[in-house]
Amino acid sequence: MSKTLLVAGCWWLVVAAVCAQDARQIVAESQKRGLSRSQQYEGTLEVIGSGNKISLKRWTYERIGSYGSSKAILRFTAPAEVKGVALLIVNHADRASDQWMWTPALERDRRIALQDRSTRFFGTDFSFEDLEERDVNQFDYKLAGEETFDGQPCWKIESKPKEGKSSQYTSSVLMIRKDNYVVIQIENFAKEKLVRRIHYSDVQQQDGIWVGRTTEVLDANRGSRTVLKLEKLKYNLPMQEESFTLEALRRG
Amino acid sequence: MSGNAARMGACAALLLICCLSAQDFTQRGFVQTGLTLYPQTAPNDSGQAVGDALFRYEASYKVRPWLRISASLDTAFDTHEQVERSAHLDWQDRGLRRPLLSLRELNATISKGKLTAEFGKQFIRWGKADLLNPTDRFSPKDFLSVTDPGFLAVTAARVIYDTGANSFDLVWQPRFTPSRTPLLDQRWTVLPESLDDVTLHDLGSVFPGRSSFGARWNHIGSGYEVSASFYDGFNSLPIFQAYSNDDFRRLYPALRLYGVDAAVPLPWFTVKTEAAYYTSPDKRQDEYVIYVIQFERQIKEFAIVAGYAGDAVTSYTPGLQFSPELGFARAILAHAQYTIDSTRSVATDAAVRQNGDGSWLRTVYSESLGQHWRVTAGYTWIRGNPSDFLGEYHRNSYALLALRYSF
Repeated sequence: MSKTLLVAGCWWLVVAAVCAQDARQIVAESQKRGLSRSQQYEGTLEVIGSGNKISLKRWTYERIGSYGSSKAILRFTAPAEVKGVALLIVNHADRASDQWMWTPALERDRRIALQDRSTRFFGTDFSFEDLEERDVNQFDYKLAGEETFDGQPCWKIESKPKEGKSSQYTSSVLMIRKDNYVVIQIENFAKEKLVRRIHYSDVQQQDGIWVGRTTEVLDANRGSRTVLKLEKLKYNLPMQEESFTLEALRRG
Repeated sequence: MSGNAARMGACAALLLICCLSAQDFTQRGFVQTGLTLYPQTAPNDSGQAVGDALFRYEASYKVRPWLRISASLDTAFDTHEQVERSAHLDWQDRGLRRPLLSLRELNATISKGKLTAEFGKQFIRWGKADLLNPTDRFSPKDFLSVTDPGFLAVTAARVIYDTGANSFDLVWQPRFTPSRTPLLDQRWTVLPESLDDVTLHDLGSVFPGRSSFGARWNHIGSGYEVSASFYDGFNSLPIFQAYSNDDFRRLYPALRLYGVDAAVPLPWFTVKTEAAYYTSPDKRQDEYVIYVIQFERQIKEFAIVAGYAGDAVTSYTPGLQFSPELGFARAILAHAQYTIDSTRSVATDAAVRQNGDGSWLRTVYSESLGQHWRVTAGYTWIRGNPSDFLGEYHRNSYALLALRYSF
């Protein structure tokens, strides 16, 4: 009896380990397929407040590198009163990103304090953490099942930050398409309560990379939504490191 | 001949339109009207309501990938004669009043790899702190309303070499631009009671003849950022030299400055600090150290900055100088902003002198209406002892209402 229990226990351990490995491999493969040297797009954002109050924003976005070593500059082009406001993001693999904001009205750049990455990004429903690119090694993964989502067969994967890794979310549930490894939804939880749902749709291939060109973010606490549409999206354009410095942020 | 000229003109116009319609041309601006209400009159100013209007247009054109031309024009008007009434295009910013029509900025930026050079009338801002910037020497200010200053551009040549981790910034300013001090016959100039019956005669300003120079090195390290700067030129704030009992002239003392500033993001807050040692080669003003240390933290929609500004005078020089920088020193300074939603925010700024002799508190509510309009309403309280820099403006608390259309 005890031998049977031991064998069963070992079997479950092996199954759990294999599933965990599979889940991690799926996420790693998803990230690998989305890897690019650079990215550029024009974003149109519709922020729909809890009272259905709608505000529109537009920005241009350029990124060089990927994941923990990337740098990005985002420039607002609308509405008129924030036109020219720009943000430089320097990501690090091991800590929160460094960020500087250029405000034309003040004619100066200013380093942004970002201890709290749950802060909403410029009045949208994205938090600063949502804009960071997740390093696969910073999370533990578990395959929670397979199901059809948005009409596509998907893997359902649970992720939790590894011990010592800081995140506003205690766990997340990822839906990853089986056919092209594209993440089409992330549900983020804090103590089992849904905080933010990020849904990717309009999945297309651009420059050899599958990507959801429409992102809808639901802030479950506020009941507000932001819809981001990527236009003029390009990957792997030649870009210079010199275009991602404080001086580049200032000169526009 | 006239036909050829017309055709050439048409071609030039077409070319210009093609150029300007290209993506390399950007423009923005706004029209703003404001109403300032002072509950109290001042001994030298009975006005309690001031209306003002400002139209600003900014354009930038990338002529080549490495060359950008930028320009900005202001047209202003007010009911309190803080703005000149003569309609000439002013580019010097040397008048006591704000110009009615001003070339605010006109410069060319050349960038090649890590090197950027900028020539012309431009804004140059140094320093990392937000509450006070002692190292910010190429940015004269408009102090016609002392607690709400605006920045003025300087005519300069600037070269920056930026490697990402290090940047070297050299500035040469051949022509001096003074800060604009409060007008003698208005409430932001508080005269001693002994001068109540004296009619003062302003003999004008004596501007420095030589150029100013500055250099700054900035380093971004792993988890910190630090800068060192040097400036050799003139204080943009004047000393008032009396020639007789009722005549005075503005002089601009020579100034040499050694400055440092740093920012360190820590797990719970970001520390920013800035310090400068001001020396006076012509011994016309005090020599002193001025410093600020601030702590900054963002908690969800709430951003807070709090700090302390201090000074230590190392050498006194008798004389009368308008010095808001020292006026805001030896004080606890704070800024807090709460973003209510994507269109509304409320912000509060405060300064309290450490001896309690002066305090200033401003609260502003701002809301955008649609894609172009923004309405702002606020109130500024000023309290204190008449012998204190802030306290002397205790009759100048005011309410502000502004409406802006941005395009």
